[in-house]
Amino acid sequence: AAAFERRVLRCAAEHHYLRVRLELPDGGARPNAAQFKQLVVTALRELHGEVGAALPVDVLTYEEKTLSAILRVISSGLVKLWSALTLLGFYQNRRCAFRVLQTSPFLLALSGNSRELVL
Amino acid sequence: QNTLTVCFSVGYSAVALNHVIDFKEKKQEIIKPVSPSELFPSLPIVQGTSKRIKVLTRLTLVVSDPSHCNLLRSTSANIRLYDIIAVFPKTEKLFHIACTTLDVDLVCINVTEKLPFYFRRPPVNMAIDRGIYFELLYTPAIKDSTMRRYTISNAISLMQVCKGKNIVISSAAERALELRGPYDVANLGLLFGLSESEAKAAVSTNCRATMLHGETRKSACGVVYTVKKPRKVEEEETAVPACKKAKTQA
Repeated sequence: AAAFERRVLRCAAEHHYLRVRLELPDGGARPNAAQFKQLVVTALRELHGEVGAALPVDVLTYEEKTLSAILRVISSGLVKLWSALTLLGFYQNRRCAFRVLQTSPFLLALSGNSRELVL
Repeated sequence: QNTLTVCFSVGYSAVALNHVIDFKEKKQEIIKPVSPSELFPSLPIVQGTSKRIKVLTRLTLVVSDPSHCNLLRSTSANIRLYDIIAVFPKTEKLFHIACTTLDVDLVCINVTEKLPFYFRRPPVNMAIDRGIYFELLYTPAIKDSTMRRYTISNAISLMQVCKGKNIVISSAAERALELRGPYDVANLGLLFGLSESEAKAAVSTNCRATMLHGETRKSACGVVYTVKKPRKVEEEETAVPACKKAKTQA
């Protein structure tokens, strides 16, 4: 009799990747990479408190010209991070908005955007 | 107008423009809604399909007194022009009346302050049977942190009573920056305690059902259907109540 074992993997990827863009319409100073990370942590702290602010979030790439970035977060923290970014309204007393462009458990999937396909 | 342009680029397929009427001030008259064709000569196409984006008009009545509800039954012609009608009850009695007898499509739930009344199960279940949806706003949560707490607490207490059915999440955005994409809003539904499928439905299928409910309400108002019975010639039957009931159940 052959013994076999069954392994069930649910959501095996441990990180989720988000491509986001910060919209700051007024032509003021743009945040650099460190200030951007500070902004993300502040958003998490405002909504989810100290536990949220301690969530391991990494900024993988950041472009200051377009204010777009790729963030990486532990899969269990995706809902917290996404909701914190959605509900952020102000950056240094200026109105701003986060637009989440793509999200995926695989980094490679963020390279192509099917919404920007020109048919 | 700028807000609408952002809406289209973010990926919504139908937008409703809201007009709020508050009855505390005197001499409120319902004005005609702004026709969407005035704002946009040609509406852009929804991403991914070949249909155009729909722009609807919506009316919200802030009621704090039962006499304000009489306006809904009046034959003011301007009410008919709005596609969706929503009511914002301020007291428990009015909430009960709105869920059970008023002819509306949406019941707005206050998110900016602590609810003065608790939700009870009988009127909520009756509203779900009648096809009325409960609406939550998310824009106050972006502006102020105290409002965030009230939004989430009121939403959670609503979820406990209605178990996540018949919820619509909408924004009361006045500027383009206060708008968020549809998937972001569905994620907010997860925060409120909905399950994943319910949260996505709150942005997509429930909204479409509200639009259809508004259309059936528009078409069933004022229909007179006379049927002459073949045997008794002098009797005429008007089947108005049956028609209206059948259409709101559909």
